[in-house]
Amino acid sequence: MARLALVLGAAVAILYPIPLQLQGYTYYQTVGFLVLINAMLGVGWNVIGGWAGQFDFGPQVFFAVGAYVGAVLFARLGIDAWLGMPIAVVAAMLLCALLTYPLTRLRGHYFAIATVAIWMIAQPIGATWDAIGGSQGYFIPVKPHASVAGAALSLQFAGPTKALGYYYSALVLFAVTMALMALVQRSKLGYYFHAVRDDQEAAEGIGIDSRLYKVVARSITAGVFAAAGVLYAFWALSVFPEQVLELNWATLPIMATVVGGIGHLWGPVLGAIILIPIAQIMSTTLGTGPLAGRGVDLIVYGVIIVTIAAFRPTGLLSLPWRRWLRREPRGASAEPAAVDR
Amino acid sequence: MRRLAVSVFIVAVLVSGALFGLGTAPAANVTEVLIGSVLPLTGNFASLGQQYLWASQTAEDIVNNDYPDLQVPLGPGKGFPGLGGAPIKFIVRDDQSRGEQARTIVEQLISVNKVHWINGEGTSGTTSIIQPVVESAGIPLTCHACASPTLTEKGMKWFWRTGPHDKVMVASVFSFLKEWREHGGPTDLKTVALFTCDNLFCQDNRKVAAEQAPKAGFQVVLDLTTKTGATTLASEVQRLQAANPDVLFLVQYTAETTVFQNDAKRAGWLPKVVATSNGAYSDETWLQAQKKTNAAAGWLGRDPTAIDLTHQRPSWQKVNEIYKKYSRGQNMGELAMREITGLLWMADVINRAKSVEPAALAKAARETNMGPEQLIIDYKGIKFDDHNQNVLATGVVTQIGWDGEKHTLWPWDMATKAGFKPMFPNPSWQERDAKPKPAS
Amino acid sequence: MAEVTQAVVNGLQMGFLYALVAVGLTIIWGLMEMINFAHGEFLMLGMFGAWWLSATVGLDPLLAIAPIGLVMYGFGVLVYRLLMRRVQGGDPFTQIFATIGLLFLLQNAVVAGFTSDYRFVNDSALTHLSGTKLQLLGIRFGVPLLAAAGLALLLFLALYLLIERTEFGLALQATSEDRDAARLVGIRPQRMFAVAWGLGAALVAIAGAILVNFFAVYPQVGLQFTVLAYAIVALGGFGSILGTLLAALLVGVIQSVTVVYLPPAFKDAFVFASYLLIGLFRPQGLFGRF
Repeated sequence: MARLALVLGAAVAILYPIPLQLQGYTYYQTVGFLVLINAMLGVGWNVIGGWAGQFDFGPQVFFAVGAYVGAVLFARLGIDAWLGMPIAVVAAMLLCALLTYPLTRLRGHYFAIATVAIWMIAQPIGATWDAIGGSQGYFIPVKPHASVAGAALSLQFAGPTKALGYYYSALVLFAVTMALMALVQRSKLGYYFHAVRDDQEAAEGIGIDSRLYKVVARSITAGVFAAAGVLYAFWALSVFPEQVLELNWATLPIMATVVGGIGHLWGPVLGAIILIPIAQIMSTTLGTGPLAGRGVDLIVYGVIIVTIAAFRPTGLLSLPWRRWLRREPRGASAEPAAVDR
Repeated sequence: MRRLAVSVFIVAVLVSGALFGLGTAPAANVTEVLIGSVLPLTGNFASLGQQYLWASQTAEDIVNNDYPDLQVPLGPGKGFPGLGGAPIKFIVRDDQSRGEQARTIVEQLISVNKVHWINGEGTSGTTSIIQPVVESAGIPLTCHACASPTLTEKGMKWFWRTGPHDKVMVASVFSFLKEWREHGGPTDLKTVALFTCDNLFCQDNRKVAAEQAPKAGFQVVLDLTTKTGATTLASEVQRLQAANPDVLFLVQYTAETTVFQNDAKRAGWLPKVVATSNGAYSDETWLQAQKKTNAAAGWLGRDPTAIDLTHQRPSWQKVNEIYKKYSRGQNMGELAMREITGLLWMADVINRAKSVEPAALAKAARETNMGPEQLIIDYKGIKFDDHNQNVLATGVVTQIGWDGEKHTLWPWDMATKAGFKPMFPNPSWQERDAKPKPAS
Repeated sequence: MAEVTQAVVNGLQMGFLYALVAVGLTIIWGLMEMINFAHGEFLMLGMFGAWWLSATVGLDPLLAIAPIGLVMYGFGVLVYRLLMRRVQGGDPFTQIFATIGLLFLLQNAVVAGFTSDYRFVNDSALTHLSGTKLQLLGIRFGVPLLAAAGLALLLFLALYLLIERTEFGLALQATSEDRDAARLVGIRPQRMFAVAWGLGAALVAIAGAILVNFFAVYPQVGLQFTVLAYAIVALGGFGSILGTLLAALLVGVIQSVTVVYLPPAFKDAFVFASYLLIGLFRPQGLFGRF
């Protein structure tokens, strides 16, 4: 049944933009792009936060590292986005490992503030480092491509297929991330992460090096963030430090993870699918017209979040879906699809 | 497996059917002209965004209502005469001061709302993120108050800017300082310190100033970039004090300028000249607050307009009355003036194009040749270069007097008209405390 | 040398202001270990309250401390009762989620009510003292800042006595250490948490009422102070009130002394780098109990 849900979800994800594209809409593809990129970040954050149980408020640093490395590789050396991505990911993971290992002496909230510290140190570096443009931004040159394959490889889509191109690129990247994370979850690593989260002392007792696995977990998170960062840089065609280092790149994925259900592989995906469209709908309905500029949409958004938190603090995936689905076998094909959308 | 395939197919058909049904494009007949306006109305740049919002409401009001004796484009008469009296409608959206949100909204405005023109985003950083999208869609984009020179230097075909950029405006400050020597000003001003925040806008200003200062005969003795959102600037003030520049070139936002003023006062220090550029100097709320403390009397800065002379124009006063309906009584500051000027120019373009087709709009925009008499601001007119930058947009240097109002110092012909005797050197903090405050 | 001494003095003066902002956080986060992303918004509410009372009825912000503290105490209790009590049933990360929602709600409610204008308090007892010169051995002091520092010390002393020397304080500590054990000795943990939220909100709002004398007031003002406040509480060590005070002073001094020689854009980065450095030797903060 899970498989059915997966196939249906994939079908919807692949097919829904096509009619929209034919109608000349690009907005829904971009919303899809945002859902995917945030879902992916959530899935990445879930590794350190959900599986290894560590507070990490600073993963956006590696989003920025990915964005800059991808952009610089392309602008300076002409390395296409998809080819530069593995380099960016490895660079971010190494940097993360190097920075995080000493931090793992700190635990709990102390560790959390240490991740904030790295972010606070990264901000002025990004803002004042002239080689990467400082706060004046690093621009990615537009290189026209004759073939669709060339455009896809270098993530440079132009004209009316721009939004669609980025959507499918995000979908591919998202799918690869999910596959890799599913592997991690099932591997011994996943087991070690849980052991460290549940009881660090006990884990040490059976010979698990908790510091090492925290570093590994955070580096995996960093890798996912860096990959998303590369995609974002080419989508925006520019990298501004205040944009790629924004706290939102941490808080939104964390929120998505909590809504969906922390620790579940698909939790952040569900969360992103719920939160981002809600924000868009709020903005479209309450954030315009005579109410524009009053922040009313964000007030309502805040109320929705607070309400979800108060009434389902354990996340939506913790709801008894299985029991509901089993009691109603006829709805079985519709229900998971609804969850996945 | 077959069941799977069948259900996939059914879902696909249902989804596509539903979506096809959703969107039937509106008829091409122009019943109203839609302007998509994406602005930072909440988040870090909200205080700027709200001024742009009030500006767009003012422009909408002017175009759609009949102001028979208002000498601005589309002032008299209702709607666009060129389009059979069709009204203008702004669809204003908030991007929370976030780039990715702005871009998503722009996609929506273009493809769902089918707007004919995008105006925004009001800050240069976010504008450069939406530029590629609008460029792909091929409709006009404007950001009149964005001052980053790069925006028009990228060779975008669909981006126009009626306002001056930082190169023009910062240059005006240094031109003034240079020429001041021959116009009865002090002759012993030789050194300058740059004191800027670390974001795009401040750094643009800093780079231009670093270029301009030596050309105007100044030695840069200190170049400090501070953190945006600083809670204290006491040590920075110490360093400035030690460097002892004749001129302080200060580019900071309102909150940080307030912090600087407190710390400078505590240190009992001010240089002979404080020259600013935008930031707090363009913020009406800050300017009003200075009238209660005298803390900025004698500060000079660049403005896009000789604001004391402009205030005397009947058209400015009328537009300001309209603006105040939307701004809860706040006067139109220079940011709002730049924006309204640009929006009325846009209305003129649409009217002349007699169409909302992008190609026609672009043609009419390129052909713009607007004289100064139609503007509420002191540009010499509106006319574009190859990069769609208004070459007639100017920089003016003004100074805050003891009355808390801005007075024109440069260019010299305008200064003569304004008839204000420049304050020099900067009054001390004791003198500021001792003098009567204009607003208390 | 005189330069550095002046910088140290400047830093200490700022440190007391930071301590004011951090003191509320010590209780909610440091003692009760609940995360509050909306701490800065509580501060902002206090600042807006003080500005509003000053602008409408001419109440001096220093006198506004009492009504603002009371109202925000009630508000803090309400936030716990209606929201955080339920949220405690989930993962600790849910607290982040819930308080981000609260942040959206509060910040934008103020935008809706007051617009995003900057506001200033220029007509208060402390701002009138801003021109008063006080110089000792060539070192300049800010009179309003010294007054604020005195208030900060008083608040800290009161809080220290409350937490460390009263039965209520012991009950609070017991709750934070072991909820179930606390229940066994007759403490009602939820009541303790509610009081902690009330106190935390009241203290940070009071800090806001003092801060309006020095800073512009606007809906987004909270973040820059909260980030520092979080660093201060962690640097001081969880559950240590004295630690928070000393860490705040240290942060003020680090900010101010480093910037005399190094790039000012890195001001906060130096603070956080010091946190990391100290953390390598004292993973439990300077005075933390665990």
